[in-house]
Formats: sequence, C-alpha cells, structure tokens
Amino acid sequence: MIQLTEESRSGWCVVGVRGRADAEAADELEAALRSALQSGSKVAADFAALDYISSAGLRAVIQAARAAQASEVEFVICSLTLPVKKVFDMSGLHQILQIRESLPC
Amino acid sequence: MLSMLEEVVLLAVDEKTGGLRSTREFATTYALVGAVFFDLALARRIDTDTETIHIVDTTPTGNATLDRVLSDMAKLPDKKTVREWIEEIFHRKDDLEGEALQSLISQGILRHEKSKLLWIIDVERFPPVDNKPQQHVKLRLAHTILSDEIPSTRDIMLVSIAEPCGLLHYVLSESELAGRRARIPGRGRCGARGDGSGH
Repeated sequence: MIQLTEESRSGWCVVGVRGRADAEAADELEAALRSALQSGSKVAADFAALDYISSAGLRAVIQAARAAQASEVEFVICSLTLPVKKVFDMSGLHQILQIRESLPC
Repeated sequence: MLSMLEEVVLLAVDEKTGGLRSTREFATTYALVGAVFFDLALARRIDTDTETIHIVDTTPTGNATLDRVLSDMAKLPDKKTVREWIEEIFHRKDDLEGEALQSLISQGILRHEKSKLLWIIDVERFPPVDNKPQQHVKLRLAHTILSDEIPSTRDIMLVSIAEPCGLLHYVLSESELAGRRARIPGRGRCGARGDGSGH
C-alpha cells in the first residue's frame, strides 16, 4: 500500500511518499514522479514516511530520475528512512542518484 | 533482445579463442544465478529486497530457461530468502550456462567447436560468429561506468553482475575503472530490478 501526495513549495514540486514501494505500488509511484516532472518545477521525492522499498520500487525511482535527467529537471530524493537508506546504499544508487538528508524547501 | 543470462555468458566468451572465461569460478556461477533473477525481475515476475525474493506473476515469459526456473520457484513456496534461492538455483549452473550458450548458437551469435587436448581431454570452444552483440554489451557496460548519465535499470544490473566475477576487466582497463568505482552499482549485492522496458 502506498500513499502519494503532491504539493508546491518555493519552486519545488514535493511528492510525498508513504507506505511501501513494492511491485504492487511501483507503477503508481513512477507515474506520480513523472507527473511531478511535468509541473515545470524542480522535483523532490519526500521519502520520510516510506517504510519499505523493493527492487520494483527502486526501478520506479530510477525511471523517474532518468526522465528528469533527459528533460533537464532537477530531481532529488530526500529524507530516507533507515531501512530504505540501507537499500539505496546496498544497491549503490546513492552514488548515482541525488539524495539529500532533508527537503530542499 | 538478449536475456541478461545470455549477455553475461556472452561477456564470458573470449572473442579471440572462443574459450569461456571463468576468472573466479564461484563468482561466475553466482553471476549466472544473479542474471536469472534479474531477468525474472526485468520481466516483472519476481520482486526482491535485501532479504527476500517472491513471485509476483507466474505467467510464462516465453524464455524457456526463465520459465523453467519460475515454474520451479512456484513449486517451492517455503523458500523465501535470497540466500535460499541463490543456493537452490546455484546447483543448476551447468543448465543455465548450457542453455544460454545453445540459445546464442541458435541465434547465430556463437558457434560450437569441439576438439581434443593431447588426444584425450575434450575441449569446447564457442567462437563468435557475429561480434556485434558482444561489442554492444561491452559498450553498454563502458558507457554505464564512464558516463555521468543515470543508467537504465538493466545496465545497472549488468554492471553489478559483471564486476564481482571479474568480467569488467575485459571491457575497461584498471586505470579506466580506478576513477569510476563509485559508478559501479551495488558491487554485486542488491541492484535494482524490474524494468520491463530495459531503459
């Protein structure tokens, strides 16, 4: 189960992600992030309430990050919880994606 | 498009001699196992995290090797951890490699040669008939590591398999790799899975 919100703050479009980003939720997550990229603002994915991410969830994030890079939109992932941070660290994606400890806005 | 398993086996073929490189024997076997799991994840049949693997869809993929593994996995619902599944599939290493080689031969990418060493020992070689697929895989690996682009999920997986079994050294020199270690995702541990498009 995943819950997604979107709000504008100081030139950023913040996508709040709560719950579990697994195979069931991955497409929904990717669609929300891609939709935010269309806003014309910089995009921050707020993972402060994301409890779990699987490989399918990571795929959704990578896809969104690639789309952001292709359209030259700044895309950052923020406020990782400990279990989610562990997955990003183990997969090495923290070296490839822009990850911040807190929201930029 | 080649499967991840076929790409890993293709990378292990010495393009000059047709011999199979197995620089770190067990690591290469694990690479084959990892490739199968990545293939199933790319096909959106399994999902995984740092501890577990589970089936999300048992619909056949159309690839005989993957469908056999998927079917076998579905028959063993008690196995759930990554470790259990790696051990289970590890014992099928010869099947995985042999089926991938056979597929590459039937696609006209490799050919099969048998000879005798000292008139006694059978030697099998798989010289490339068409060099382009192997070059394509090598170029993707090199680009993933040397460029600053965010790689596709598929290419992240490929690098994370190729690195621990020593296959990256046939693509890039040590000096090229030295400054780009941070671009090698996961160093073979987790990776990201499930990009059906491969991009």
